Amino acid sequence: MRGAKSAKWVAIAAVVALGATACGGGGGDSSSGAGKGNGVVSVEIGEPQNSLVPSNTYETEGGQVINALFTGLTKLDASNKVVNAMAESIETKDNKVWTIKLKSGYTFHNGEKVTAQSFVDAWNYGANQTNAQQTNPLFSHIQGYSDLNPGEGKKPSTDQMSGLKAVDDSTLQVTLSGAFSAFPSQLSFTAFVPLPKAFFKDPKGFGEAPIGNGPFKMKGKFKHNEQIDTTKYDKYPDASKIEVKGVNFKIYSNPDTAYKDLVAGNLDSLLTIPTSGLPTYKKDLPNRTIDEADSAVGYIGFPIKYNKAFQNADLRKAISMAIDRQTIADKVFLGARTPADDYISPIIDGYRKGACGDGCTLNVAKAKELYKKSGGLPGNKLELGYNADGGHKEWIEAVANQLQQNLGLKVTAKPFEQFQTILNDLDAKKYQGAFRMAWSMDYPDAEDYLRPVFSKDAIANGSNYSGYVNEDFEKLLVKGDQAPTHEDAVKFYQQADDVLLKDMPYIPVYFYTLNAGFSDKIKSMKVAGHQILWDTVKLS
Amino acid sequence: MGRYVVRRLLQVIPVLIGVTFIIFCLVFALPGDPIQALAGDKRADPNIAAILRAHYHLNEPLYQQYWHYISGVFTGDLGETYNGRAISEIVSERFPVTLKLGLTAFAIEAVIGVVAGILSALKRGKFLDNVVLVATLVLISIPVFVFGSVLQLEFGMSLKLTPVAGIEKGWPQSYILPAIVLAATSMAYIARLVRSSMTESIRADYVRTAIAKGLPRRRVIGVHALRNSMIPVVTFLGFDLGALMGGAIITERVFNMPGLGGQLAQSLYLRERPVVVGLVTLLVLIYLVANLVVDLLYAVLDPRIRYE
Repeated sequence: MRGAKSAKWVAIAAVVALGATACGGGGGDSSSGAGKGNGVVSVEIGEPQNSLVPSNTYETEGGQVINALFTGLTKLDASNKVVNAMAESIETKDNKVWTIKLKSGYTFHNGEKVTAQSFVDAWNYGANQTNAQQTNPLFSHIQGYSDLNPGEGKKPSTDQMSGLKAVDDSTLQVTLSGAFSAFPSQLSFTAFVPLPKAFFKDPKGFGEAPIGNGPFKMKGKFKHNEQIDTTKYDKYPDASKIEVKGVNFKIYSNPDTAYKDLVAGNLDSLLTIPTSGLPTYKKDLPNRTIDEADSAVGYIGFPIKYNKAFQNADLRKAISMAIDRQTIADKVFLGARTPADDYISPIIDGYRKGACGDGCTLNVAKAKELYKKSGGLPGNKLELGYNADGGHKEWIEAVANQLQQNLGLKVTAKPFEQFQTILNDLDAKKYQGAFRMAWSMDYPDAEDYLRPVFSKDAIANGSNYSGYVNEDFEKLLVKGDQAPTHEDAVKFYQQADDVLLKDMPYIPVYFYTLNAGFSDKIKSMKVAGHQILWDTVKLS
Repeated sequence: MGRYVVRRLLQVIPVLIGVTFIIFCLVFALPGDPIQALAGDKRADPNIAAILRAHYHLNEPLYQQYWHYISGVFTGDLGETYNGRAISEIVSERFPVTLKLGLTAFAIEAVIGVVAGILSALKRGKFLDNVVLVATLVLISIPVFVFGSVLQLEFGMSLKLTPVAGIEKGWPQSYILPAIVLAATSMAYIARLVRSSMTESIRADYVRTAIAKGLPRRRVIGVHALRNSMIPVVTFLGFDLGALMGGAIITERVFNMPGLGGQLAQSLYLRERPVVVGLVTLLVLIYLVANLVVDLLYAVLDPRIRYE
């Protein structure tokens, strides 16, 4: 009796277990296994930080998707130059009032026509503090921005920036609060794309299935942590120039796994080959790799504003000259970085090879001399802080060793759990040591490598964590902003750059490079600003 | 027994309140700022950050934040992440993946572990026994991510029998490899556990009696000896079901599966207190229920055990 009863119990438990495991059996997705012929390309991204609203996307993962779904006024071409996209022409007399004529023929994926008003509405939304969009500060050049950002606890008195005006359907007039020559360049950032009326009715729902004006439209909804599937939008004016029939953004949490998928042929494009793949990727993917300069710069920074020991420029220069950048680039990063010799990235107009000169070249004797002259560090001790979550341990320890050997310092590499914990300690003036830093561009202009990282304003809302202030530098930036032509602007920005090279608030250590790979489904492709240029992708 | 079950279920309530509070405190104590984390490596705009902080009550003291959270939970609202997604949505999206993975692993380790253990016990000292002992030793000593990567390379990339990663192909293709990896260590433990307790039972008086009575061998081994050997194994399996759900973090990462493990790791990293608390609470619930089932199974396996 008892036996029979208990057998039933066990049987029920077994059935429950089996039933539960089997319940999802039919969930197989038939859209996978794209096959070689159908023209759909799969691309690796990480889970976007926010839902897919352009003004709330300030990172490359979501940025790649926005770039495929939307077209802005300007864009980057294969050589990282800013060219017109939706803009027919962009004109200004004083770098302050800009008149932008739009090309006709662009529609949103729901059929709505893209007009000047679509831009005005989108930018007003992005700049309004009530909406708390991540890219909010990017709109700060536009006149009337401050009305929309009165500060915490206060409500904006208006929801429109006075500097934005849709003159007619195809003419947009933008007035900035001051001259800003890099404005057309800034417009290439994905935060400046237009939005359809449907967005304002339901921003949350829109973020899960955005309606753009770009070459690709959403196919279904954003499947978080799995994929974002898109298909070509046939009514896109340049649709004939695009060979790819659809882009499937596959979301990976682990780049090593993505790399395996790429080699196995389950993934078509991976823009960042993980360190584990670097020694073999050229063999694993014969003739299917891209190696070129990328936009980011890696630095070592100093808390100048509150640690007196670092306030001497000679000391910072001595440290810089004791670092062997070539070895770090070749040995630690296996060629995935190049030694930095300027504050401006090599892909940007205005970069000068070797601008940093002696300051960024290994010279032990001179470094020692400068170090002595500067008075040195208290106790000859230096701490190098880094965030342990981002693969920085190796190079920071290499730098620590080099400084130890070349300058005779006692260097300790201090891991912080996350980058934010370093930033918090710097804000609280708690951390006394040097720290790792990096900057990647928002738009391809020399200005973007200077103001957001080293200007006075950037102490409060940019990446100037060292608290560096130099009035000459500020003045030259303004001169660059007001320059009548792009060439003149670049000249002034280079002069500002020279001030930095002399002062060395941060030590530039390396430039990032793009080490990408693609599958045999793709014949060739080009990448700019960490985004695939879809009209350059040729299928085999 | 009904009263016993009700009493056990009632005990769940204080446990849950305690657990959520402790987890909340622990995540609260971690350094780092969730709003800065939203901005990644760039500095969050101070104005926007302040507005977001106020919106998510991040400026308030711990107990008030906990109160906001727990009072939401009692009205059926699990809250939202700092980027505005409903946590209930995340759970319903990701729980099925982990559940399928965990239960597949559970089935694998229970079936293979028990069978290997029985065979090994019956053939003690023979070749088969040695195979099981060596194999289990290997499985116990290899780290999960190494084992996972090796299987990926072999079955996914070289032989192309299974997908390398992801869940596109659905159950079972996409789940079988990660489930094996997830089950491996526990499977080895179970095999050894079954082996040792079976060895003991086979020599026991009641088994000799059963054989002397002339019962068929299959019945002696399968019912008399096995049933008595199962108590430690069932205890282990019960605990392991909970552990599988939580322990999927590494496996899910290696195989790029959008399950709870990955979400938990990500949310911890982003300091998303409500998400971490919600997910851990769910895992605790599974643990508690699994343990209740184990306790009830004791009575089934050994009639001497009774509950009042």
